[in-house]
Amino acid sequence: MTVVKSNRRQAGLGHPSDDQAATPPAPGGGTDGGGVAFSLEGVSVSFPGSSANHPALDDVSLRCRDGEFLVLVGRSGSGKTTILNVLSGLLEPDAGEVSILGGRPRAARPRMGFMFARDALMPWRTARRNVELGLEILGRSGGERREAATSMLERVGLGHAVNRLPWQLSQGMRQRVALARTWVRQPKLLLMDEPFSALDAQTRRESQQVFLETWAGTSASVVLVTHDLTEALLLADRLVLLSAGRILREVEIPFERPRDLDQLVVSQEFRDLERELWELLR
Amino acid sequence: MAAQVLLFAGFIGLWGLAARFEIGRPIVVRSPAAVWNALRDLVASGQLWPHTWSTLQATLIALALAAVIGVATGLGLALSPTLERIVTPYLSALNAAPRIAFGPVFIIIFGIGLSSKVALAFSVVIFVVILNARAGVHAADPDVVRLMEVMGASRRAVFTKLLFPVAIPSIFAGLRLGLIYSLLGVVTSEMIAAREGLGQLVAQYSGNFQLDYVYAVIAVLIVIGTLLNAIAGVVERRLLWWKAP
Repeated sequence: MTVVKSNRRQAGLGHPSDDQAATPPAPGGGTDGGGVAFSLEGVSVSFPGSSANHPALDDVSLRCRDGEFLVLVGRSGSGKTTILNVLSGLLEPDAGEVSILGGRPRAARPRMGFMFARDALMPWRTARRNVELGLEILGRSGGERREAATSMLERVGLGHAVNRLPWQLSQGMRQRVALARTWVRQPKLLLMDEPFSALDAQTRRESQQVFLETWAGTSASVVLVTHDLTEALLLADRLVLLSAGRILREVEIPFERPRDLDQLVVSQEFRDLERELWELLR
Repeated sequence: MAAQVLLFAGFIGLWGLAARFEIGRPIVVRSPAAVWNALRDLVASGQLWPHTWSTLQATLIALALAAVIGVATGLGLALSPTLERIVTPYLSALNAAPRIAFGPVFIIIFGIGLSSKVALAFSVVIFVVILNARAGVHAADPDVVRLMEVMGASRRAVFTKLLFPVAIPSIFAGLRLGLIYSLLGVVTSEMIAAREGLGQLVAQYSGNFQLDYVYAVIAVLIVIGTLLNAIAGVVERRLLWWKAP
């Protein structure tokens, strides 16, 4: 598979305001958001019973450019998943403005994809039928669905397993089916909640590589939530460090694309940046 | 399989020895041969089939009614949290009630006949089906529900593509249990008062102390229960073909 994405940004550690000032026009385009896949402006979220001094999100402002790979990093309770839930329209913020692909989150759903730590496959559907699910919801015809799902499974290396049931697949293969199910809808914005965390180390790296290669052929923006700083550095164009519902820091990642993750992870440049960020997170 | 046949042969052998050496009261411990003869007599006299059909008919009608009403009610409750919150305490109380005790009440309401048998069996089975259907929907993976919502699925699509299929194994488990409960309810009702049915035969022969005939009827009931369960097993395997072996 040809990897066509290239890094479009300069390296460096910066504060939240730096990024917003430096937002470039969309290279891939294709959304209605004027080069911005989503924007959160002054978003606050509190859950019933939580202290007013400790909201889940506290006046968060964040933008994601078209085609950008944004990674949200932070400890449990820092607000990462809450941001995803706001973006997907599962959660209404108490305050602030949310714009997804130029509109409201719910209106943007047909152009959004979602992946979880668990593959969330339906056990009674074959791999192909699981991939077809998103297209069924979009009302596509049977023939079109079958063709698209089979083609997408081939792209993620599962052409031989289209008719297998989830229990007949390994954990890594199941996650790739979930990946195919997400990509087959050709989303413009992909929200991922620790999608690789349930995999063993080797399968995780393979899945990350497959994901990057599949993403490279699209113009989609990605928002990935993870606890894993190494994973964040390997995948991101930009890291957003969260703490107690606030953005602590935004960091542009300097590594060129396409990335060979196995080589990148052992490079001196990678190690230095990882160490620097660990210091920042302490 | 060989071990199972051996176990059955061993049981019949022990039973035969107990009867031959009069272990226990002779009126209670009848020999396997006596029971076999009673069974042959029931078949030869033409008594067995009408009574068997009557019991089977009531069992299947009660199960079918409980399946339709119970599945619809269970799914409806699971899809409506407010309704579920209101109804659950009453459902639990009714489920805890010894429904067999309602047998005489149903006979007074519906008279001696098919209806009262079906009513008692239905009252026993319906709660199992409701609770299993409801539990089946609640077993849906919240991540998949969330995924479908984010994909823009309508409530109808979430139900037809996820919640109903995910509930099928639990519904089927309830129906399999319900099958045996239905037979139990019908036989109980027949023993209380009925014109025909295997339960009525048991009551009649017990009253005459003809326990070889009672055991013969019980053996027929065991065969019916086992056959119905085996048929349900085949249907379940076909319906849930996708489950891991």
